[in-house]
Amino acid sequence: MTIAKKILPYLLAVVASFVAAGIFISLMGFDVFKAYQTILFTSFRTPNGFIQTLLKFIPLTLLALAFTIPLNAGKFNIGGEGQMMAGGIGAAAMGIMFADLPAIILLPLVILGGVVAGALWGLVPAWLLYKFNINEILTTVLFNFIALFLIDYVCTGPWRDPAAGHPTTVLIGRGGWLPMLVNNPPLHSGIILAVLVAIGVYIYTSRTTGGFELIATGANPRAAGVFGINTRRMFVLSLILGGAVAGLAGAFEVAGNQHRLIEGMQSNFLQLGMIIGLISRGNNGAVPFVAFMIAVLEVGASAMQRTMMIPVEMVFIVEALILLFVLLSDVVRRK
Amino acid sequence: MDTMIIEFLRLVLLSMVPFVLAGQGTMLGGRTGVFNVAQEGMMLVGASVGFLVSFFSGSIFLGIIVAMLSGALFGFALAYFTTSLKMNQFVIGLSLFFIGLGVSTLLPKLILGITLTPPLIPTLKSIPIPLLSQIPFIGPILFKQNILVYVSVLVSIGLWYFLFRTQKGLELRSVGEYPMTADSLGINTTKMRYWSTIIGGMLIGMAGAYLPMVYAGTFTEGMTMGRGWLAIALTFFGGWSPLPILYGSLFFSAIEVLAFRVQVIGSFLPYQILQMFPYIATILVMIFTFKRSRVPAFLGNNYDREKRSL
Repeated sequence: MTIAKKILPYLLAVVASFVAAGIFISLMGFDVFKAYQTILFTSFRTPNGFIQTLLKFIPLTLLALAFTIPLNAGKFNIGGEGQMMAGGIGAAAMGIMFADLPAIILLPLVILGGVVAGALWGLVPAWLLYKFNINEILTTVLFNFIALFLIDYVCTGPWRDPAAGHPTTVLIGRGGWLPMLVNNPPLHSGIILAVLVAIGVYIYTSRTTGGFELIATGANPRAAGVFGINTRRMFVLSLILGGAVAGLAGAFEVAGNQHRLIEGMQSNFLQLGMIIGLISRGNNGAVPFVAFMIAVLEVGASAMQRTMMIPVEMVFIVEALILLFVLLSDVVRRK
Repeated sequence: MDTMIIEFLRLVLLSMVPFVLAGQGTMLGGRTGVFNVAQEGMMLVGASVGFLVSFFSGSIFLGIIVAMLSGALFGFALAYFTTSLKMNQFVIGLSLFFIGLGVSTLLPKLILGITLTPPLIPTLKSIPIPLLSQIPFIGPILFKQNILVYVSVLVSIGLWYFLFRTQKGLELRSVGEYPMTADSLGINTTKMRYWSTIIGGMLIGMAGAYLPMVYAGTFTEGMTMGRGWLAIALTFFGGWSPLPILYGSLFFSAIEVLAFRVQVIGSFLPYQILQMFPYIATILVMIFTFKRSRVPAFLGNNYDREKRSL
């Protein structure tokens, strides 16, 4: 199949959902063309817009991978949000407890703290699945809520910043801040690491034996089992890996953006990450590209809300519609 | 002390309603093999629409009806994509969850604008049942509740009777166990799956509408707080049977009320730990019940009659 033929259903899906949403927007009495212009071009008009887009691109790519890696093994990880928050807590804990260490030790410690905490948050549902066969959809979701209250506890507990109005911890040590690539507007170097992780995941799942076992498990667990792959162990591994990647996203929010732990940092990255993962159909190579596209839409959406008073949720629905149409294109092709 | 216990038990029955309705809705769809995972989104839409319609029409009853219709619409979409188009149930369920999430916040923002003081609707009044509510102790707990408490109990009993005491119910259950056999016996599996998912969606929409009508008097973003997901856990806990789901929801609701009460009274534990309690308790409960839970054999699968085997 040629590339053009591959991309065509996606293009049609995007156009169809924009048309559907456009009809609704114009019925509400808004200017559709101005709205779409804002959504599509805000990212490219100013340097600030572009950097905003890249800053969204980082957590979106990582959270999408946190969903697709388990999906490759046939498991649904809906706990990316909790794993990201756990990662943020782990990173902040390291950065606050060892605030005086020099950057060369503290920075890796902060990042590692996030990755390990995220992996642990993925490990518990994985263990429950392995040991008791409990549906991972439920446990990963429930762990989001547990993380939500845990982050509230940390942000209002002993590390709380009394000067801030919103639940927030104090700043992490200077050594834990990710170096900046561009200072004004600020872009932290986490983006390099995020891209490297995305490439690494892609190579792992498409070019290595371990990754092949993972994909085989997802494609047909019975056949994989017959060929001697321990499928249950693959489930566990995939959920831990997913958790670690989501934890990294949390660490970046702390070490790169805020330099502290803030309640609400998870935004709606979980849902967007899952939408990206599903639009990519679990193909890790496609994830960064789809994530960039969604980041563009998201930055455009908040600009649209500011200037035209159209709620950002409008764009979220467009994204969900794109997903639905992409899924539908499968059915059309099957017939 | 006595009044405290009465008040506690009364609240448990009051708070069980969303669990009962969403649990029964999930169960009904699952009994024909459609595993719904969009509850959270569907409940949010039910809450949002139910609130808006009651506010503008002044009639809570109309709000509930429209919320049920919105749930039915989602149920129909789920049935169409999974049963007619044979698409993956989890993927479609998640997509519908996203759409529900977006629609539920979009509608109030578009219709009411962004306000700091959201309008309020009157909450559901309790309807004491004559004579029965006079019984000491039991009366105020069981027979001085709002209408949906009674409805949710009646729905549960009705579903039990339908599923386990009627021919149609047996046919419906067979579709979720082994659709090929059901099909060969002349049961219309497609129709069964559509209707069970649509009516299940209505119940889930009603469960959502209950939230603004009883707790806050208004819609707030994400006000379900995971109750939709907990409903799935409850359905497993209740072994996909109406009456155990009814009892199980008492347990889920008791944990919720207890965590809230202790927070109000104050304890040595930080309040966030108490807020986590319902979710942790649910996970613990699943450890003990998940393995033994009787699950419809065909749950989560799509039936294609043109395939040679299942």
